Amino acid sequence: MTMRATSPAPLWSAVALALGVALAFIAGLSLPAADADQEPAKATVGAPKKYTSGLHPMPNGDPVPLEWMPPGTKESPAPSDEIFPPQTLTIRFNHKKHVQDLKMSCKSSHGAAYQSAAASDRLLPEPTKTCDACHDVSHADLHRVVAGTEENGQCTYCHLGEGAGVGGRVARFVMPSPNLRFNHKKHLDRNIGCAQCHGRVEELELATREQLPRMAGCFGCHALPVPARGEAKGECTTCHLTEPSGKMVQEFATGQLLPPDWLHMSGHTPDWIERHKSVAGSDSKYCASCHSEEDCAECHDGRVRNRKVHPNDWITMHQAAARLDNPRCTSCHQETQFCGDCHRRVGVARDGPAGNRPTGARFHPPPSVWTNAPRTGEHHAWEAQRNLNACVSCHAERDCATCHATKGIAGGGGVSPHPAGFAKSCGQPLSRNPRPCMVCHGPGDGMLERCR
Amino acid sequence: MKLTRRALFAAPCVVAASLAASEAQALDVELSATTAGQSYDVGSPWGYRLERRRLLQTVGFSMYHLQGDHAPGEPDYNLRLLGRIDADFGIGNHLDGTIADAETSFDVAGGSRFVPGLAIARFDLMYAYIEGKNLADGWFGFRAGRQYVTDALGWWSFDGGLVRLTTPFYVDVELYGGLEQRGGLPLSTHRFESQGVWRGSHSGFDEEGGPRSSDYPSYQFAAEAPAFGAAIESAGPNWLHARLTYRRVYNTGEAFAGAFPLAGTTGYRTVDGLRLSSERVGWAGYVNKTDLGGLKGGFAYDVYNATFSNAYGGLEVYAGPRVTVGADADHYKPTFDADSIFNWFSHEPNTTATGRVAVRITKEIDVAGSGGARLWATQGDPDELGEIGCRAINLPADCAGESYVDPNRPGVIDPTAPGAPQDARLAEASRAEENRGTSYLIDGLGQLVGRYLSTRGSVELRSMLQIGERGHRAGGDAGGEIFFDGKRYALGGRLSVYDFTDPRADANHTTSFGYVVGGGYKPIDITRIGAEWEHDMNERVGHRFRVMGRLDVLWVR
Repeated sequence: MTMRATSPAPLWSAVALALGVALAFIAGLSLPAADADQEPAKATVGAPKKYTSGLHPMPNGDPVPLEWMPPGTKESPAPSDEIFPPQTLTIRFNHKKHVQDLKMSCKSSHGAAYQSAAASDRLLPEPTKTCDACHDVSHADLHRVVAGTEENGQCTYCHLGEGAGVGGRVARFVMPSPNLRFNHKKHLDRNIGCAQCHGRVEELELATREQLPRMAGCFGCHALPVPARGEAKGECTTCHLTEPSGKMVQEFATGQLLPPDWLHMSGHTPDWIERHKSVAGSDSKYCASCHSEEDCAECHDGRVRNRKVHPNDWITMHQAAARLDNPRCTSCHQETQFCGDCHRRVGVARDGPAGNRPTGARFHPPPSVWTNAPRTGEHHAWEAQRNLNACVSCHAERDCATCHATKGIAGGGGVSPHPAGFAKSCGQPLSRNPRPCMVCHGPGDGMLERCR
Repeated sequence: MKLTRRALFAAPCVVAASLAASEAQALDVELSATTAGQSYDVGSPWGYRLERRRLLQTVGFSMYHLQGDHAPGEPDYNLRLLGRIDADFGIGNHLDGTIADAETSFDVAGGSRFVPGLAIARFDLMYAYIEGKNLADGWFGFRAGRQYVTDALGWWSFDGGLVRLTTPFYVDVELYGGLEQRGGLPLSTHRFESQGVWRGSHSGFDEEGGPRSSDYPSYQFAAEAPAFGAAIESAGPNWLHARLTYRRVYNTGEAFAGAFPLAGTTGYRTVDGLRLSSERVGWAGYVNKTDLGGLKGGFAYDVYNATFSNAYGGLEVYAGPRVTVGADADHYKPTFDADSIFNWFSHEPNTTATGRVAVRITKEIDVAGSGGARLWATQGDPDELGEIGCRAINLPADCAGESYVDPNRPGVIDPTAPGAPQDARLAEASRAEENRGTSYLIDGLGQLVGRYLSTRGSVELRSMLQIGERGHRAGGDAGGEIFFDGKRYALGGRLSVYDFTDPRADANHTTSFGYVVGGGYKPIDITRIGAEWEHDMNERVGHRFRVMGRLDVLWVR
């Protein structure tokens, strides 16, 4: 394989090819895939026209007032698709009528919740124990439901869907289990009422997925200070499903579980990679809820270039980026070694092997501009002050000491790099590690004595 | 090397097999491996090209819940280990066959191509620890072995022990101690050392046919680095979190302490013994009101240099459930290992301030944009100090770049004395307080990123701009991945265009265009195979290619 062509002549033909590939890719992404993960089928909801109640949370589909929604709805208008997968409700039901007019309690229909220890438990009413008591119908055999003669016993009185009731058929009702650990009994036993998590369902007609809890609402108890929290533990894994490693499960059929913006200020927005340090720096345990050490190492100690950090053609581009300190090299690289190893091999570093660099070859501007005194506006001192890391990626100490070490035994040119007034503060570093002082100051140097 | 790898593979397999044979699912076992081969070239400005033929092999082994069945909040013990081989079989390929080993062997080509510390294959243990959590009724936790610490002082690794005390008094306390991971020591990498010191193994040095250590006085001896630290971290309230941390690391052993040989000899002065490597205090935290917004901030203070190496802060406002607006500031000043003279050259910070908007357009689509400025500071005005210097030595104001004052001339000390030499008068002018006021250059910064994320694939757009007197870089990437057959197959690609200028480089303006195409396949659930091709082109080097193949295995039981 030829790794390099010397002429960029076919550049634009390659550009055209690449653009073609990109367009084909985007077209492919936009086409429906026959074998893609299927989303839950949307039922064709078509209630008999004469019934208008119980089809929506509010009459005529009006919005539900915020105060009737579950706590936390302000922060999260909709429940998470990953935690509560989308449902298909093929039923007409008016909670307000049943609770307020018919004086039924939540428990009378959802009594199973009072004994439920798992989120996967089915907590919907059993028709033989609830519906059939008032409606003229028998659900004793769900394969052979017997409708009575009264209107409220007909299938289409409650069930929706095209062809509902024909031949005893009804549209499929889809309510996937939540991807969550939840113990209803524990909460109810602690006098945490239904409305505290589900909002004012008794004010609504149809209760939909919108009435399912929001994490911000859970935090009303689960994020209290430890002494006040009691049994409402605050760990993510108290509620979220986990892998054997203890990390949260993040991949679901409905998408990837990501933290909301308001949670620990950690919204994993597309620019999260530039912003994550403040959260990681203060609460690495929180990050570890979903991430293992390998995720950090992939960038911070990576050996395969991550293109979210370093785009294509990074080898050509990196010197300009390093000079602009964007991204900051030292976030992930020990410059003296990581950068230096390569720079020595390609003959960029001044202390690299003699055979790697032609005699007299120079990387920087001529000495008259770059190193000589008096300083020009392009002098290296300015660059060193602005972005010293860029110097360190190529230069070893001796390069600096050539001029900046003191004259005489230290062998330098006596050009002091210290700011004015340095003598007042040099005692502390000298006492704790004299080595960097000794590089430029010979034994018995009066300046060292003054620092001591 | 082969023996080591076999052993690495064999040990966890034996353990896993024995576990699989047992009846009880007392614990969970995880085996992982990544094999990645990369091939690309790196050009030297002097005409030759390095061939990078790299192979990365990682092998991981973890056992979770060593105690048996696990219940949340109950005592839990885990064992985790990850090792890595990072090899480059292209080292020396660019050299004539007779001297192909010259980069790693001093006795080839008279040492004229020898790079101290360079090795064809490096093996390091990324982590290897046993941990206990929720011990003593949840009060106590520990970790022993090679491990990472993440906090305001950065991402760091050491060999040793860490204990964590969880209290009901809103704070947790962490204490740790051991040896910092240092390159040149067995199974270690350089990544976690402080910046500024070139260290490594001197194996083979000062032996017959090998180099003398004194031939490479900048290449310091790798030695154990004792370290300890402590942290206090808030616990409980969800709306507030903070961690205050302290760490001290020592250098030990011998180090060259002079840049040049002692007069009349080939020997160098050295220092030896325990001395500070770094001592830093850090803090990071935030206050967050979920329906309003939050404040965040942090710093890292370098005690040796008595300066803040980093300080940052930010404000975010949740302007509705889909929109966040904010502002951030970051102050950065390089600091180095206390063995390094680079500390003396680090005077001025750079400071960055940006405003930001993030919008979640739909569940699948979100965008974020930011813009601001970066300030580069210098002591003195680069446009004026040369003129001041010229006048100080009685030369025309525009003498800088035309005249040369030799700092090596012997001279009298008092620069104000009549007839004082030029270098002393020039130094006096350069160092005078009135001539060293802070001066700034300002870069403009911008970033716009967007993402479409679905269960069938993703599309990502990233663009950036930085422009100022010291050069610019601007451009963007568009990339994505699409899955087929329940993620059994994947296709991906990325296009990029960047334009950049580096006034310091000979060919200072370049426009780069590049594309990547790749694909992945999961023959079985625990395995994924991937390959990709990258083709970049720009006026400076023409065409550049890179190919990569990758095999990932993750087995959990």
